[in-house]
Amino acid sequence: MTTPTLSLHQVDKTFGHGRTTVHALKGADFEIYPGQFVAIIGPSGSGKSTFLTIAAGLQTPTNGEIRLNGVPLTSQSEKSRLAYRFNEIGFILQSSNLIPFLTVTEQLRLVDKVARRKFQQEHAQKLLTEFGLTKVSNAYPSELSGGERQRVAIVRALYNHPSVLLADEPTASLDVARSQDVVARLAQEAHQHHKAIIMVTHNQRLIGDCDVVYRIEDGVMSKS
Amino acid sequence: MYLGLKEMAHEKLRYTLLTSVLLLIALVVFCLAGLASGLAYGNRQAVDAWQATSIYLNKDANQNLSASQLKLADDKYITGNKVEPIATLSGTLRTKNDGLKTSISALGTARKSFLMPKVTSGHQIDGKNQIIISADIYAKGYRIGDRVRIGTTDKTVKIVGVYAKNTYSIAPTIYTDVTTLNQLRSAPITSGDNQPVNGFVTRRSQFKTDQHGELEKLTITKFIQKLPGYQAQQLTLNTMIYFLFVMALAIIGIFMFILTLQKQALFGVLKVQGIGTKHILAAILTQSMVMAIAGIALGLLITVGLAQVMPAALPFTIDWLQMGIYSAALLVAAVLGALLSWRTIAKIDPVVAIG
Ligand SMILES: Nc1ncnc2c1ncn2[C@@H]1O[C@H](COP(=O)(O)OP(=O)(O)O)[C@@H](O)[C@H]1O
Ligand SMILES: [Mg+2]
Repeated sequence: MTTPTLSLHQVDKTFGHGRTTVHALKGADFEIYPGQFVAIIGPSGSGKSTFLTIAAGLQTPTNGEIRLNGVPLTSQSEKSRLAYRFNEIGFILQSSNLIPFLTVTEQLRLVDKVARRKFQQEHAQKLLTEFGLTKVSNAYPSELSGGERQRVAIVRALYNHPSVLLADEPTASLDVARSQDVVARLAQEAHQHHKAIIMVTHNQRLIGDCDVVYRIEDGVMSKS
Repeated sequence: MYLGLKEMAHEKLRYTLLTSVLLLIALVVFCLAGLASGLAYGNRQAVDAWQATSIYLNKDANQNLSASQLKLADDKYITGNKVEPIATLSGTLRTKNDGLKTSISALGTARKSFLMPKVTSGHQIDGKNQIIISADIYAKGYRIGDRVRIGTTDKTVKIVGVYAKNTYSIAPTIYTDVTTLNQLRSAPITSGDNQPVNGFVTRRSQFKTDQHGELEKLTITKFIQKLPGYQAQQLTLNTMIYFLFVMALAIIGIFMFILTLQKQALFGVLKVQGIGTKHILAAILTQSMVMAIAGIALGLLITVGLAQVMPAALPFTIDWLQMGIYSAALLVAAVLGALLSWRTIAKIDPVVAIG
């Protein structure tokens, strides 16, 4: 295999100090390659979100190293982490990923505005068609169903051609059928379009499509 | 930009309301400014028209022209190339049988004095008992050739010319020679060097020696500040205007701050997506600038409209330079108000916002 898209080596994250110290991550090792759909599964409070936020450059690890396409993310200034998130990471949250006063198309347009380039009409059209969203492309988030909203969030995350897609319990607010639809689409995106996708979940039943599954318990990660 | 404008378009009511508040503030600022300029002009326009640098008054007159008593011969203490007497009388201009009555400021000076306004119709004063009137008196129906009375005497004088609109002490002016003015105000002496005048106005001059009788020298700037009521009026109105700038800043600041607090989660999500403080702040600045510019533009428009329908008796002048400065100040206040949320936006932690 080639170099991993994203890798973590011996990453620790502790919060607080003294008797109140919380070890949210302990010596985590992780890697993902293009075209892989990786699940991270663990109970609430086990450190899943901490892992994702560190991978996304939202917080810095206490120890250890993160590499993107083999390049260590040594520069940790707030500004370069922001650019890293904008250019390399697609982040999908549990809910409320979307900007309430922008239509579906405008959510994508905003990305181009921030990147100071023209609206990528064709690219947008392709993604919206793929995720069955053409009919709602001019709707506001409040006019969408929960499933549609998460699909828009995925499109929004994919739109800027990220190296890796991070999804933090993307199905938490959806019913079973919709959850399975969203997960299937993520798997399809990884396998057909060769994306690296990490999905965090505590739901055992959603990891059927995943290529690799990491389990996490009390901050300790293990490949299963 | 994009983010800010899209939000405004989606939340029209919210932003229209705030724009209306800014509009009202701008309108009050512009109306007060118009009144301040109007009053200032009304008080000083005649003095400005002199284009003089200093004035000599009686040192016991408390720097007040009408209270200053000198005599024509007192110019012997002054040396300079343009030194002209000035005498004042405020009274009512009346035509025969009181057909027309208007409060005016009458000013007397030498017939060939540089203080004497240039007529735009009729002729300059060239004989006894002649006056020339300002255009705003002409506008009230007084005509060249009319015989008029001023003050309490029965003496009549003849209007021989009209000059551009000109006011002093918030009343339109008429000019005449010193002798005629002294006759109109029933002075005890109305000819020769001993007749009374109120002061001497000069372009470049000084006292001949340290001995200068009862005279004191004032710069015109100082003299204007000391015009009765001038400073009190300007200070009052300007203080109100400055206070309104602070209010505009506070209103924008508080409003934008509350909105920022409400939108912390949203801003957190933006930061997660790599859209940082810079873009969020730009959106808020865009919004407050759009609202301020709309409010200011509408405020100016309404002020200009109001100026058309205002009663002529109300001293109201639109000084565009000043309106421009006040508009800019309001815009700056709006920008500063929006910047008050900077720290709050910068401190929003995306990890907390999504947690
Ligand atoms: N900012 C923080 N400060 C202190 N403790 C934190 C912070 N973030 C997370 N933790 C703690 O770290 C542990 C892991 O949290 P998290 O990664 O959110 O778990 P999960 O997403 O698996 O539910 C928890 O015990 C949590 O209380
Ligand atoms: Mg979590």
